[in-house]
Amino acid sequence: MEFFLPIAHMDVNIVLISLYGALVGFLSGLVGVGGGFLITPLLIFSGIPPIVAVSSGAAQMTGTASGASYLHWRHGNIDFKMGLTLLIGSWLGGGFGVYLAKLLLRAGQFGNVVVFLYVILLGIIGVSMLIESVRAVARAGKPGAGTAAAPAKPKSLLRDWMQRLPWQTSYPASGVRMSVVGPLLLGAAVGILTSLMGVGGGFIMVPVMIYVLKMPTKIVVGTSLFQLLFTTAAVSIMQAGINHSVDPFLALILILGSVLGTKLGARLGARLPAEKLRLILALVVVAVAVKMVVTLLIPPGDIYAMTIEVR
Amino acid sequence: MRWLLCLLFVSGWMLQTPSLAEEPLVVAPATSDVRITTDFAGTTIQAVGAMSKSGELIIKLVGPKQQATLSRETKVGPFWVEGERVKMEEAPSLLFLYATSPIASILSPEDQQKYGLILEGVWVRVEPQLKAHAASDWRKAFFRLKEKQGYYHEDDRAIRVFGNRLFIADMRLPGDLQVGTYTVETLLVKSGKVVGHTVGSFKVRLSGIERWVWNEAHDRSWLFGSLFTLLCMLVGLALNAFPLRRTH
Repeated sequence: MEFFLPIAHMDVNIVLISLYGALVGFLSGLVGVGGGFLITPLLIFSGIPPIVAVSSGAAQMTGTASGASYLHWRHGNIDFKMGLTLLIGSWLGGGFGVYLAKLLLRAGQFGNVVVFLYVILLGIIGVSMLIESVRAVARAGKPGAGTAAAPAKPKSLLRDWMQRLPWQTSYPASGVRMSVVGPLLLGAAVGILTSLMGVGGGFIMVPVMIYVLKMPTKIVVGTSLFQLLFTTAAVSIMQAGINHSVDPFLALILILGSVLGTKLGARLGARLPAEKLRLILALVVVAVAVKMVVTLLIPPGDIYAMTIEVR
Repeated sequence: MRWLLCLLFVSGWMLQTPSLAEEPLVVAPATSDVRITTDFAGTTIQAVGAMSKSGELIIKLVGPKQQATLSRETKVGPFWVEGERVKMEEAPSLLFLYATSPIASILSPEDQQKYGLILEGVWVRVEPQLKAHAASDWRKAFFRLKEKQGYYHEDDRAIRVFGNRLFIADMRLPGDLQVGTYTVETLLVKSGKVVGHTVGSFKVRLSGIERWVWNEAHDRSWLFGSLFTLLCMLVGLALNAFPLRRTH
């Protein structure tokens, strides 16, 4: 069933795009990740121009994050002071990233940069998740696994460095005190990634907030979602305003697919053991990274490719 | 059955109009408008006409000019990455040549050149700083890709002739069409000479919501981006949060 996308200016199979949304939503519901890092490569594999894939992916995440953020807000799980500090950073980073995307587009290097960023990030994340989840599955199979002590955490040099930074302030909702510079830098890094890769950055934000900023896990998830919602919203607006690259039909199809997938994933996720869920996600992430590497290594059928400027 | 009605219409039209009956070639307007909507997956345009004397026919369908960027993958270490890029301007977005026999056997090379009937002879402006031999490589790649994607092609079996007088050509347009004006040139060739020549045109335009989205996304991009992002938030809220709220 073909469907014409006015901004991408191409026909896509509506069933396939909905399935992509549903697959990413399913994984999101299954293991609690945003899934932005999967949707962009899948769209690029379908022939959608990288800039439209990245921008529409940001708009799609705004849609999927709004419902979840609302629920966390109702349960009081958002540290607004921390969220706003992160947001200022991510808006600045996001603005810089959109401008960078424009420069890369002009130089014809946007596609290369996106693919390499994905290979590096998905490779690192996928392999580390795979190692960790294989170990967890092995541990779960041994007797007395449930009572095994957690491995000692190494002393964080980053945290020590952050305690020496200026403009220390307290974040009462999270029960921590730190410099505003740390969350600002973290937000800026995530904002740049959102602009260049169409990802929410939860896979960086959440571990840093838990292990470096020492925030309570419950508050971390809500605050990360709050930051994600307004970062992706700002990036979506900027991509539409500067690069005219948000395809509304594509984003809406993805939102509908992902909401359905999330609900199915959440139901199944409640029945499966956590370590096996993480293993599934790790395998998916590694598979996408491998596919991207293979694309880079195999000689193309035709070394020439054509892009049409739509006017 | 539709083509039969078209033929009857053309025949009647010629007979009723004395001046037209004397014309060597008459082509009925195929269409004035092709509208691209959400479910547009290509369409078939019919050119229906009549000729006063038997001969060979050539129909040339030319799309609006477009700017294309060609990129060439290069190997950097073990990786194949996008390398040099070149802009190709002024080339028609689509070029279909239909004929009753192979064009090379109907017309001399000079006449083929004169009437733009050689696919790879179409004028394409390549970035001027490129050296001649490099520009030639890029030009060849451009035509090869256009033919591979189905935007440039030649077909000597697409025109059906009835009783050496009436003819009909089915021109299949692809789904991804450049918007703008398309021209249809019809030539009647007798003994290697062009004895009849007509030019018609039709427009391809975005229609309905696609047109509105395209215009808003480009003319009022910031407002469009802000409102659409807000819509995404509301849709996400409506689909995610409210049904859950009812169940808890």
